[in-house]
Amino acid sequence: MDFPNALQIFISGANLGAIYTALGLGFFVIYSVTRLVNLAQGEFVMLGGMLTVSFYKMGIPLVPSITLAVIISGLAGAGLYRFIIYPARGYSRLTQLLLTVGFVFAIQGVALLIWGWDFRSLPAFFNTPCIQLWGATIFGQTPWVIGATLVMVIGLFFFFGRTIQGKALRACANEPLGARTMGVNIDRMALYSFIMAAGLGAVVGAMITPLTMTSYSMGWSLTIKGVLAAFVGGINRAEGVILGGVALGMMEAAAAGMVPGGYHNVIAPGILIVVLLLRPHGILAIPGRVE
Amino acid sequence: MNAFREISSKISAVKLQNRVIALFALVMMTIPLGIGPYPISAMVDVGLYSIVTIGIILLMGFAGQISIGHAAFFGIGAYTSAILTTHYQFSPWLALFLGAALSGGIAAAIGRAMFRLHGLMLAGITLALNLVFYHLVCSMIGLTGGAMGLINIPPLILGGFNFSRSFLTYYMVWIIAIVILGFSLNLADSQVGRTLRSMNTHAGGSENAAQVLGINVNSYKVQILVLSAVYASIAGSIYAHHARVVEPGTFFIPFSVMVVIMALLGGLRSPWGAFLGAGLMIGVREFLWEVMPVFVTGVTGAYELIAYGVILILALLFLPRGLISLFGRAFTKRRATV
Amino acid sequence: MKTDSAVVKDAVTSKKVASDKLLLKVEDVSMRFGVLAVLKGVSFSVPKGNILVIIGPNGAGKSTLLKLISGLLSLQEGEIWFKQHRLSKIPPHRISSLGITQLFQDVQLFSSMSVIENVMVGCHLRTRAGFLSAGLKLPQAQADEQRILKRAMSKLSLVGLEQKAWDNPAGLSWGQQKLVGLARALATGSDLLLLDEPYSGLLADEIDKLNQLILQLQRQGMTILIVEHLTDVLMGIGNQVIVLDYGEKIAEGTPDEIQRNKRVIDAYLGSG
Repeated sequence: MDFPNALQIFISGANLGAIYTALGLGFFVIYSVTRLVNLAQGEFVMLGGMLTVSFYKMGIPLVPSITLAVIISGLAGAGLYRFIIYPARGYSRLTQLLLTVGFVFAIQGVALLIWGWDFRSLPAFFNTPCIQLWGATIFGQTPWVIGATLVMVIGLFFFFGRTIQGKALRACANEPLGARTMGVNIDRMALYSFIMAAGLGAVVGAMITPLTMTSYSMGWSLTIKGVLAAFVGGINRAEGVILGGVALGMMEAAAAGMVPGGYHNVIAPGILIVVLLLRPHGILAIPGRVE
Repeated sequence: MNAFREISSKISAVKLQNRVIALFALVMMTIPLGIGPYPISAMVDVGLYSIVTIGIILLMGFAGQISIGHAAFFGIGAYTSAILTTHYQFSPWLALFLGAALSGGIAAAIGRAMFRLHGLMLAGITLALNLVFYHLVCSMIGLTGGAMGLINIPPLILGGFNFSRSFLTYYMVWIIAIVILGFSLNLADSQVGRTLRSMNTHAGGSENAAQVLGINVNSYKVQILVLSAVYASIAGSIYAHHARVVEPGTFFIPFSVMVVIMALLGGLRSPWGAFLGAGLMIGVREFLWEVMPVFVTGVTGAYELIAYGVILILALLFLPRGLISLFGRAFTKRRATV
Repeated sequence: MKTDSAVVKDAVTSKKVASDKLLLKVEDVSMRFGVLAVLKGVSFSVPKGNILVIIGPNGAGKSTLLKLISGLLSLQEGEIWFKQHRLSKIPPHRISSLGITQLFQDVQLFSSMSVIENVMVGCHLRTRAGFLSAGLKLPQAQADEQRILKRAMSKLSLVGLEQKAWDNPAGLSWGQQKLVGLARALATGSDLLLLDEPYSGLLADEIDKLNQLILQLQRQGMTILIVEHLTDVLMGIGNQVIVLDYGEKIAEGTPDEIQRNKRVIDAYLGSG
């Protein structure tokens, strides 16, 4: 393979890896606080993308549009927790998981009502042009995707590692009883985690829309991508999600560049199967902390 | 003596259960006489979903093992039937059996490795297997028709009856569903059912306790996976001949999630739950498609999706043990069916 | 009819018989979890028909030892022999079918089933019907059902709980739950019964009843291995005692010898 080809594969791998990572982080945030896999995570991404497009088309500048989308999506996340998950807090995890599926149907219906069946798109952020680099092409949006993902990763590490609120959130999952006796309100922390995950999802939605477009029904496939990234690396560690996301993105890009037909789509789930058989909780997961 | 009194009450409970099955069969067999072709087609769906969901209830409710990948087994049945009957002119019935054998074989091959995982991670790997199946089907265009799917699948024919007419399909689906129900109820009430429940860590079982009593926990998990895969495959084969077309989207994650929802909504403690869960979800779907447009106008499908989601959420919140918990002891009482 | 003390005396003398009467042999078994050494080179052997009591304070490695014998933990170092079988690498359900079963400290009854169904699960090794014959209700499956129902009932009446057969185990007292667990274990027909702290949480008369049962089982030829951290309840029942302390065997002998052993008194009995 010649150099421009390899570079092109690396660039699209980095782009795809950033998307996988950003999607996976939403699962990490909710799981690390509540031990719940939120199958509606992709719907927040869809909401974020759709809302950003709508506000932007109204003439609102990009950054305020994204901010509004994040706020509304965060409210939807709060609603999901407060009115659907919280009333079922004593139920089995499976019931809670399927409750998030009920939310998926409902939110898709709302989106269909508002936006219809059409796909929508955005120009690359601030109309960044495509860049030619040593024979490879970088889409104008790609640096924004990678940059936004890096900011999210650094922000999460800072929040969970350095701030009191972040440590309190982590404590809820690791030592629920201990957290409670220390005066941490677990229900409130769970609510925050849903708001945070929904907000993160909305940012992801805004940043991928110039690349992939968005429609009311795209949530499922994004949820699946995020689940793959989170499970490969280990859903209970941010490092795991990042490693999983980047690895999946790179491998899938490499396969797409070399294997004809749609077979490269088998790579990501195939990697998950191999990883789980070798390390039953994901590459970096702390065993015993995943249920 | 106490024991004998209990044994005799047990025998009468078994008789009661047999009568309930017979009554159920009678009702299902007379339904087509009174209604038109449209609800019949929805009832075929209920029957097909119920067959898959019975397998999920045995796997999940009895053995305690989750799967979010049974659309793959449903799809293996459907595609085996579709490919063998369109490309190679196999008899549809032979194709159905070969599909079931293939599904069972694949389940047996992957089961042992797969069940090293538990809970959420088991859900994850079954989801990944479903994705692999889906993308392979999309990519192997020469064999499967890729995203376009396969068309012109012949109908099932038995003794001169052409099952393309929907009420004949209805009878075939429901006879098979009731046979599978009977088999599964027998299994549930036997030592096999007790063994499966003994290792279900989600419902008062313990793998350690089962193992020191001599139970090969992994072997039982694999066997029940094989059985549920065969059920799903049979339903898939019938579906292919009923719909006359197959395309990959049918066999994706939403189907796998739907049968888990049906199992949970119906009730995980008895194979009967499958019919309740499938009946509720399909019933709501049909009701919404038929009735909603009368009251509201607007984008097709939007209100239906919202109502569907809301009903699912309410049902899960207010009936966490499933619809079967509303019914009497004939369905849920285990003690008398020992 | 022999008195209980005579039975105990017989069993003590049987300790000295030739090694072909040995049922269980534990050789130099060590076990560590990470950096923590739970067992350090423990060896002992149990002749057929003996009641071996292993005592030691909490954390002495007793439960780990039982799990190694029943195969629930895999052996890291050393060997365990049972009737000419080397148990390492044999999965737990196969070990059970060789004739070893265990009653857990927390019993672990199956709460989704009635008492009699719990005991019927214990008859698993006595059934031959598989999925197909059970699903089709073939005569073999029905015969199996009748046979194990009868067998389970007889084990329940052995522990005196046939009246509770159709109850849910959650409604039983703790002592009764332990007895159901015992009946379930006995239904396997094992030769070696491992009891993990069977007396914990029992009332005085329940302890007496359990002791009677254990002695009765020994008379019927069973070999029983009891792990206990309470010392007073076992002196009357064991005919071979091993003391574990921090994963090491510090003494072995008859109950009398143990009570006189200086090291044991220092390490354990004195402080208790």
